[in-house]
Amino acid sequence: MKNKIYQILTFCVALSIIVSIYMVFCYAPIEKNMGFVQKIFYFHLPVAIIPYLAFLVTLIFSLVYLVKRERKWDMVAHASAEIGLVIDTLVLITGPLWAKPVWGHWWVWEPRLTTSFIMWLLYVGYLMLRHSVPEENRRARFSAVYGIVAFVSVPISFMSIRWWRTVHPLVIKGASIELEPPMVLTMLVSLFSFVLFYYLLLSQRVRLENLKDEVEVIKDEVEKV
Amino acid sequence: MRFFKSIMVLVQKDLALELRTKEMFNSMIIFVLLTLVIFNFAFGEVIETSDEFLGGILWVSFLFAAVLGLNRVFVHEKDEACLDGLMLVPMERSFIYFGKAIATFLFLSVVEIVALPIFSILFGVNLLLNPFLLLLVLLLSNIGIAAVGTLLSAISINTKARDLMLPILFFPVIVPILVGAVNSTRLILSASEFVADIYIWLRTMAIYDIIFLLIGFLTFEFIIEE
Repeated sequence: MKNKIYQILTFCVALSIIVSIYMVFCYAPIEKNMGFVQKIFYFHLPVAIIPYLAFLVTLIFSLVYLVKRERKWDMVAHASAEIGLVIDTLVLITGPLWAKPVWGHWWVWEPRLTTSFIMWLLYVGYLMLRHSVPEENRRARFSAVYGIVAFVSVPISFMSIRWWRTVHPLVIKGASIELEPPMVLTMLVSLFSFVLFYYLLLSQRVRLENLKDEVEVIKDEVEKV
Repeated sequence: MRFFKSIMVLVQKDLALELRTKEMFNSMIIFVLLTLVIFNFAFGEVIETSDEFLGGILWVSFLFAAVLGLNRVFVHEKDEACLDGLMLVPMERSFIYFGKAIATFLFLSVVEIVALPIFSILFGVNLLLNPFLLLLVLLLSNIGIAAVGTLLSAISINTKARDLMLPILFFPVIVPILVGAVNSTRLILSASEFVADIYIWLRTMAIYDIIFLLIGFLTFEFIIEE
């Protein structure tokens, strides 16, 4: 039953990504100032939102773990941080790819880029910490605490383009979006695909951990025999 | 009342331990001086012609020395199993956090106050332009470093990588303090029209201190339990 749900979910993710790609290249109009290179926006923005979401999930499940002390909550926090970090790496790659033709530099030390980079380093630290603590309970407690500490960077990074003057564009101001309607629609579809994709990865990552546990249990049983 | 009494006892214990060995103080102060010498070579004549770099040089030296000291905060407690003794004392676990953080804060402050005059002589800086603001910057930064550092030091001492883990966990978290301290020190030392600008940085550091003291207070017991 569960496998069936995952299959359907995987199919939906694949379909929505194909639809997003079609919309990016065939439906959304070419931007006047930047030209074709602006297409990377539909990838860069959704990909940039996912880490915020993922690290928020890590924070929430870290707190839940500290209260409930059940391994499954730590697993979700870990899985979400891992996926968030991979996708955040994509942000730090697509950003410079877009910045080079538009700003003329791969990298500029301005608030949004700097805070995103620091956020990336914090969650690299989070994963390194996990690798460095062999005992399971202790690892879960330590990483839950560091998951809380590291999350402080997330609102700072998110608000950086609202608090400070910067060259990084701000697309969503309060309720208004400064874009043509077809562009907004394309962006939203792309965002939807990435959120779905994130959810798929998260559920599979947690499932993988569970399977690993099952294997350990079976191994123990075999050794007893 | 009991809160302050318990914490004072814990701080006194750490101070007594440090006064006997002076291992932390000696290595931190020498490390600051070494870093200043290295910066002198790294930047060369640029430092002599411009005072834009002074805040950065000073705070990077202090921060590196702080990591050196922070690595030692829980070494005795861990290696000689003193933490088990502390945890048997009938008091809140968070008292241990505040005791350690206050001791760390004092060590940092002493090192910095000894190092500042030397820095002033080596780089020809007048520290007396606005000594009270400078002390306020030291106070706010040291609270931040001690609040975050004590928490992360308790984590890193229990990892396999130990000393290697602390800088990786600590430096990205401490960035806001570094930015605030560097900018306000630069404004103070260059004696420009700064009064309005500096308060933004001081306020940022104060907010940071409050947030991380709170996080440390609430989460420390999860780290040392077992």
